[in-house]
Amino acid sequence: MGEQLSMSEFSPEDRQAIRESFEKLLSDTANEESLRQVIETESGFDKALWQQIAEMGLTGIMIDPDNGGVGGSIEEVEPLMEVAGAFLYNGPFISTCVIAPVLLAACADKELAGPHLENIASGQSIFAIAGCGKSGDWTEASNVTVTNKGDDWELTGSAHFVTHARNADYCIVRGKEGLFLVDMTESSVKLNPHSTDDQTLRVSSIDFNGASAKKLGGVGAAEFGQALNMGLIALAGEQVGATRRIFDLTIEYLITRFQFGQPIGRFQALKHMAAELLIEVESSSTAARHAARALAARSPLSQELTYLAAFTCADNFRKTAADAIQLFGGIAYTMEHPAHLYWRRAQTGQWLFASSDKFRDLYLTEMEAKL
Amino acid sequence: MSIDLKKEVEDWLDANWDTANGREVGAESYDEKSWMKKVVDAGYAVPTWPEKWFGRGLSPKDARPIDKAFQSRGAKGWGRDRYHLGAITIYKLGSDELKTELLYELLTGPICCLLYSEPGAGSDLAGVRTRAIKDGDDFVVNGQKVWTSNAVEAEYGMLLTRTDIDAPKHKGITFFIFPMKQDGVEVRPINQITGEDEFNEVFISDARVPERFIIGTLNQGWKSFQTAIASERLIMGQGITSRLRGAAGKAPALLELAYKHSKLKDPVLRQEIAQALAYRQLNAMNMLRAKEEMMKSGSSPLASLGKLAMSRIQHGEAKISAKILGPQVLLSETEDSRNANFDAAKAYMNSIGGGTDQIQKNIIAERVLGLPKSSDVSRDIPFKDVKSG
Repeated sequence: MGEQLSMSEFSPEDRQAIRESFEKLLSDTANEESLRQVIETESGFDKALWQQIAEMGLTGIMIDPDNGGVGGSIEEVEPLMEVAGAFLYNGPFISTCVIAPVLLAACADKELAGPHLENIASGQSIFAIAGCGKSGDWTEASNVTVTNKGDDWELTGSAHFVTHARNADYCIVRGKEGLFLVDMTESSVKLNPHSTDDQTLRVSSIDFNGASAKKLGGVGAAEFGQALNMGLIALAGEQVGATRRIFDLTIEYLITRFQFGQPIGRFQALKHMAAELLIEVESSSTAARHAARALAARSPLSQELTYLAAFTCADNFRKTAADAIQLFGGIAYTMEHPAHLYWRRAQTGQWLFASSDKFRDLYLTEMEAKL
Repeated sequence: MSIDLKKEVEDWLDANWDTANGREVGAESYDEKSWMKKVVDAGYAVPTWPEKWFGRGLSPKDARPIDKAFQSRGAKGWGRDRYHLGAITIYKLGSDELKTELLYELLTGPICCLLYSEPGAGSDLAGVRTRAIKDGDDFVVNGQKVWTSNAVEAEYGMLLTRTDIDAPKHKGITFFIFPMKQDGVEVRPINQITGEDEFNEVFISDARVPERFIIGTLNQGWKSFQTAIASERLIMGQGITSRLRGAAGKAPALLELAYKHSKLKDPVLRQEIAQALAYRQLNAMNMLRAKEEMMKSGSSPLASLGKLAMSRIQHGEAKISAKILGPQVLLSETEDSRNANFDAAKAYMNSIGGGTDQIQKNIIAERVLGLPKSSDVSRDIPFKDVKSG
């Protein structure tokens, strides 16, 4: 597999510096007001901000320096995703900068993969990943059939719940045999953007009607599994950041909101909810960071820890955002208040890649190996 | 430095500890007092304390080889700077005179018992009514304590008393290190919900304690007590009371039980078992993070979450164990069934003992999250006017 999986050469100080500059960028340009404007546009995507992220080198975070990247690992990505999550940033980071680079780096055909990696690092290309059918489950078999046509391949079938497909230049498609690269401008690729309850993260389905594709040679089930693990940890990191932000906003409200002549945070009913949530908030942080560290170090525990992080961070985000609305009370039962944005994104997170219940079951399967 | 220490400890243990027989080299049988004196004299009992107080002045990290070497040989006496609550409290809060008089005796003796709770003061501990009244150089103590473990063996107890009934509840408390082996101290075991009797009631009638055995200052005992209780909660969060913890690298006990009873195909139980294992693993990982943070910066907000998290783990696992067994759990005729029922009852020890979960949530909300303190209507009135019952 690619060099980006080798032990990280980034110091804690490096990571902190990268994290802080990303935080500064997003707090300047991707605050709640900007987010609300972006999600009203047709693309739902701020292209200028993506360029700024690329100029900071972050779109190439997991790409080897030979291909214009900075050679980081999932351990550098996880804290960045925490920042992204805090702002509910909705750019195509996971598909373009995490999953696609891992798959492209694993591709035996360097002439095919190299230029794409360079274009991701420079911010020029955006990638979507078509990983599942109608079940939404990336761990199930694909139903996109592939036919060999000389050097190229033809894809037939449909992919569902593809994030960022509307703005993608390329799509990596999981076919029945292997992984395939498709140009989204191909006439035989039909994009069907869906309307979604969560405006901050849009999904599409894609029909491939004999679409011409390049095969990513040497990229099989194991490489795909590894790329999926990276995606799961990136998503977990995003959920950690979002969880902590909505939790912090809630605690601040409990201190500043007065009723019955006192701050409502003095009432034990609310205190107890807050204390219980703190366990979930901290457990999410711990789970995502542990999994990132284990995967970067190729620890034998990394699969178990990745599944643990996947359902823990998804479920704890859902619970924290849901309880936040309850703790805020009436003010959060409005579109103007940010709580519902977090809650809706949390609902989405319950189903990306596969359901929390599925990952919980897979975690148990990993544990059963110890019997 | 730690490599040298590792060798030093191992050589010392090889010379002094007979691992095969679990006793001192050359001894006929294990003599706790004699062995403890050797360990304390060598500086291995409390290595993070300064030399003046029987330690080695090491950081917790540098001291680790000592614990490891002792544990691997099954030798006792290590880690008293973390687990001997009485000695820790005297070390942290006692005057130099008190330390000189008692610290060595405490460290070489059995652990101290905790004389805190009373029938009328559990979660609201600042409501203690055991009276201590000055008489010459001593105080005379009368009252009743409850939920005291190790009361029979203990030579000393850490005693919370009322010394001023005219002051508000938090301002008339005095904290003593109290000699247990005297007339006027009667210990009666409690028959607990699990069938065990590790806890006792302690009846104190006209017992005496010297004034110089006050921990901290007269009537300022509540503050000193906070230091002692913080150490206790830290120990409980590590879940040392749990049988289902299981050893590292092995399959968790709950999973073994489900496998044994062929329940790993049931999709509903699978979800519940997986979530239970996850809670346990997450708590262990959180406590590891707490340790890392404490070594780095001296404190961690995570440390106070462990005990509360452990309640959900233990009650949850006990409930799932019963589901795995099905109606067999009604019969006390198999070990699995007896264990499941025992664990279900035992889980309350964590969720009630050392401050109930509800008190613990108040503490987390107030001290970690910074929410405003709940009001206590008895807080600012003279203690003698406080309603109790």
